[in-house]
Parts: sequence; C-alpha cells; structure tokens
Amino acid sequence: MRLARANILSRFWGNLGVITLSSPSIAIVGSGPSGCYLAQYLRKAFPDSRISIFERDPVPYGLLRFGVAPDHIGTKAIAQQFERLFKRDGVEFIGNMEIGKDKSLRELRNEFDIVVIATGLNEDRSLGISGEYLEGIYSAGRITRLLNSHPNENSEGILVGSNIAIIGQGNVAIDLLRLSLLDSEELRSFGVTRKISDLMGKQDSKTISVIGRSPIEKAKFDITMIKEISKFSNVKFTSDIDYTKIIDEDSKQRSEAINFLVTHSPTNAKRIVNFYFGWSTLSFFGSNRVAGVDLVSKQKKMRISVDTVYTAIGFQEAKSASIKKSEHTSGKFDLDRGFLDDGLYCVGWFRRGPVGTIPVSRADAKHVSDAICSDYYSKMQGKVEIR
Amino acid sequence: MSKNVVILFGTESGNAEFAAEDMAAVITDRKVQVFDMSDFSSENFESTNLYILICSTHGEGDLPSGAVPLYESMKSLKPDLSDIEYAIFGLGDSSYENYSRGSEHFDALLTSLGASRIGEYGRHDAQTGTLPNECAVTWTQEIIAQS
Ligand SMILES: Cc1cc2nc3c(=O)[nH]c(=O)nc-3n(C[C@H](O)[C@H](O)[C@H](O)COP(=O)(O)OP(=O)(O)OC[C@H]3O[C@@H](n4cnc5c(N)ncnc54)[C@H](O)[C@@H]3O)c2cc1C
Ligand SMILES: Cc1cc2nc3c(=O)[nH]c(=O)nc-3n(C[C@H](O)[C@H](O)[C@H](O)COP(=O)(O)O)c2cc1C
Repeated sequence: MRLARANILSRFWGNLGVITLSSPSIAIVGSGPSGCYLAQYLRKAFPDSRISIFERDPVPYGLLRFGVAPDHIGTKAIAQQFERLFKRDGVEFIGNMEIGKDKSLRELRNEFDIVVIATGLNEDRSLGISGEYLEGIYSAGRITRLLNSHPNENSEGILVGSNIAIIGQGNVAIDLLRLSLLDSEELRSFGVTRKISDLMGKQDSKTISVIGRSPIEKAKFDITMIKEISKFSNVKFTSDIDYTKIIDEDSKQRSEAINFLVTHSPTNAKRIVNFYFGWSTLSFFGSNRVAGVDLVSKQKKMRISVDTVYTAIGFQEAKSASIKKSEHTSGKFDLDRGFLDDGLYCVGWFRRGPVGTIPVSRADAKHVSDAICSDYYSKMQGKVEIR
Repeated sequence: MSKNVVILFGTESGNAEFAAEDMAAVITDRKVQVFDMSDFSSENFESTNLYILICSTHGEGDLPSGAVPLYESMKSLKPDLSDIEYAIFGLGDSSYENYSRGSEHFDALLTSLGASRIGEYGRHDAQTGTLPNECAVTWTQEIIAQS
C-alpha cells in the first residue's frame, strides 16, 4: 500500500508514476480558453480520467473563436493546441448542449466525480441611458460574433454608416476601431463573410470617435493595441489629451502611444479617428435611428453627431444565464481556489469576472487545476490504507 | 557519448510548451527532460546536458512572464556557464515591431555567461497562422543530428 500511495503522490508531483489507483471522471462546462486550458492540465494530471467538455455552441473555443478579432491570426492559432485534446488526448466534446437547460447541473454532478463551470460571462454590459435602444446602436459582443460568423447571430437590422462612435476604450473597443479601418476586401481575407465585410468595410470615408469615460492615465487599452493601429498610414488621428496633466510613467507611455498616431498622421485623409478621453456618455438622441450622442466631462457638455454606435463597455452575466454564480456562492465556497462545493469548481471569466486575456485564463486554469488535484489527492489519501 | 537533453520552455499562452512536448517526443536516442522555465533554477545547469530553449515574445519584445524569474536570477547570480552548450528557438509574430525578441534576451545572456550556442537559431512566426510544432520538430532533429 505504501507503494501505491507513493505513486499517487508522485503522479501529483509530475513524475512518471505507473500505478493508477482510480481516476476521477471530469465534466467541464464551457469550451472557451479557460475550459480548454483546464482540460490540458487535468489531462496531464489524470491521464486515464474520462474528461468531457459540454458546450452550448455547436463548435468549441468560446470567445477565442467568436470574440477574438479575426485579424489576430496568432491568437486564433491557439485553438490548434486545443484541437489535440479532442483529436488525440481522448477529451470528449459534446456540443449543442447547454447545461442548466438541455441537461441540469445536478444530473451532470451525479454522472461525474468532478464538474467545473467554465461558462464565461457573455452578455454585453449596457450603459443604462436614454436612447440606448435606438436603431444604429450595436453591442461589441454582437458585432464581434458577426465578424466571427457565429451560427446563432444574425445581422438583421444592422446598417453601418460613415460616422461612427465607439463607446469604451478597452481592448475590445480598439479591436472594433481597427476592424472598422479595414476595407471589405481586407476583412474578407481574414475570413469575414461577404455580407458583414460589406456592411463594415464599404464606406469610402469615415469618421470614428472613440469615447472613453476614463482619462488617458486610466484608459483600459493595452499599449500594444494602440501601436497596432499605427499600421494605417492614410488615417488622420486626433486626441483631446491634456499633456500638462501627464505625470506618471504609465500614463506617459499611454499618451505617447496616442500622440505617435496623431503626429504621424496626414493632415488630410478620408478617414478620421478622434480619441476623446474622460467623457461620460449621457444619452443618445435621434428619432428612429441614432443621430448623435451627448457627453459630459466634469462641467463641460459636448454633442457629437453620429449615425452608428458600437458600445464596448465590458461584459456581465446574462440575466437569462442557465448557470448563475449567485446560486453557487452561498455554501462553503472558496472562489480564490475555484471551489464551489464538493466536486464542483469554476474557472475563467465565470470565476474572476470579465477581465483578463487568454494568457490570464491559462494561469487561472493552472491554479484551479492545482486546487482540484490537491483536493482529490487529500480525499484519496484518506481512503488509502497506510500500514 | 552524446549528451542528455534538457528542454526549457518560456511561455505565456502555451505555444512554447506545446511545441516543447513534440520536440521531446522526437528525441529518442537519449534521455530528455522538459521544464517550464519557471520551475528551473539558474543553479541547475550541468555540462553533461545539452540545453534546448524555446521561448516566446510578449508585451513589446519582452520575455513571457513564465521566463522572467529564471532570466532575472541568471542575470543577478551570473553562474559560470562556460562549459554549457545550448540551442535556441524563438517564437514571435512578425506583425509586431520587436519580432521574436523574447528569446534573444536569453541568447544574449547565455552568451555573456560563457555558454556556447550550437546550430541554427530557430524561429517561428505566428503571423503564418500556424503553431510552431512542426517547424520546431524539424529544427530539433537537425540540432540533435549535429550534437
Ligand atoms: C470581443 C472580445 C475579444 C477578445 N480578444 C482577445 C484577444 O485578442 N486576446 C486575448 O488574449 N484575449 C481576448 N479576449 C479575452 C478572452 O476572450 C477571455 O480571456 C477568455 O475567452 C475567457 O475565457 P472563458 O473560457 O472564461 O470564457 P469564454 O471564452 O466566454 O467561454 C465560455 C464558453 O462557455 C459556453 N457556455 C456558456 N454557458 C454555457 C452553458 N450553460 N452550458 C454549456 N456551455 C456554456 C460558451 O458558449 C463559451 O463557449 C477577448 C474578449 C472579447 C469579449
Ligand atoms: C499581447 C501580445 C504581445 C506580443 N508581442 C510580441 C512581440 O513584441 N514580438 C513578437 O515577435 N511576438 C509577439 N507576440 C506573439 C507571440 O510571441 C506568439 O504568438 C507566440 O507564438 C506565443 O507563444 P506562447 O504561447 O508560448 O507564449 C505577442 C503576442 C501577444 C498576444
């Protein structure tokens, strides 16, 4: 028995163990980056376990497939790591299966020793201001799903004009800016359908206002995202950054990245991008379709005429979500470890909230995988008789 | 006698680790070990091993976070690596300004600590839409044949 125990432990510590006592069966709900990275780690920890991933979409990879911008080819390639899970490593993919709707979480917990929720947070946050439901206002989630050909998203009613406001300055907002600067042919070269690439890329001239609530020092974009925009040579960039207020190193870098765009752009161009920092969106106006947006910064008010708006102010749990976090955070849960209940864990955006890149989801998956293994082995240790 | 191989990977989104596993799998004529750079200490280098480093680039030409602790500790402890041989493979994306710079930080440091590089400098460009596995495996076979 001593030998068997040593082997369980050695497997846990990553050496080549030989004897497998028992392997827990594992269900992962959601096949986004965090679910798939978790499956990679758990497969290494439990080579003989049954591991199944349940996904409500027909195809795997969540936001890696349906959120990440189609021109981020390097990031999209990560999916090829995950393909091996299903092709070679014996992880089962069950698509078109929404847990909490097509099959209950309780049923799943009866069937599997360990269940992990990796369902993300998929609903666009709304601004909650007047005029928000005017025609011509579209959420980033919907637009990025369309750009990535999500089977359940449709372009009905979408009409993109030539005077666009993007509300938000996180990485998703900058994705939308960059994609709005590609013409329809370029969009198509990244796999965007003809219909969507024509909708977004046919306009000859364009004015895009990128409006953020935060001042430049707190703007949410990564600097690399701004540097990427500098590849557009025939776009005129402007910004309202107050350079006298730039003090710390990080905001200096941010404002320099924007300033680089501004100073290197031509004086005249058919396409114009205006960055507005520190402006809250008060309301949209228009009769049927949006005609403009009212903004406020400190005491000042400003009105910008637009015919199209993309809102990109983050994500949240959908009111209609089939699995809700609040239903699992009342007992002996410990979110820091991803522990919700005996045999029930969570990972990724569902666990941490809707922030963080794919590498962050990988680190998260490692962390939760370690917690799952350590709980499992302490439970098993109790069961192994040591003489 | 040919040296044993130690593969060290430095990764952010897992590509370098994924490729390292395939590289290890094609080295069949000698002992191979694979380590995440974050689990490897600068005192662990041994002259009986050939070190193969595979490392990506993040931020603006920076090291991936998993590679930083090893890099920093080598830089401050300055181990004498004059009897160490290594080969290096860099991951990057040519759409970024500082293409493939991450691994180059290691290459420069290893050289400055006296280690000698063997073989071609391997590279993979994520702008191709592929993962590095295939070209890293071919490159590994060439390195192994030479060493
Ligand atoms: C528009 C956009 C662009 C982004 N671009 C990048 C980028 O370029 N680089 C980067 O590093 N990060 C990017 N991110 C962040 C990245 O997408 C997240 O870090 C990551 O996807 C989070 O992974 P997750 O697995 O927790 O969630 P998700 O990717 O959302 O995966 C959750 C999965 O669970 C499924 N699901 C939900 N409910 C159920 C249910 N009840 N039953 C079964 N399945 C269910 C969903 O369909 C989905 O497939 C982007 C995010 C967005 C929104
Ligand atoms: C945010 C980010 C920044 C990057 N910066 C660079 C860079 O400056 N230079 C480069 O050559 N590649 C860069 N890359 C590309 C990665 O090095 C490449 O995708 C690699 O295959 C990732 O490997 P990994 O998964 O092992 O980390 C960057 C990728 C991302 C997502």
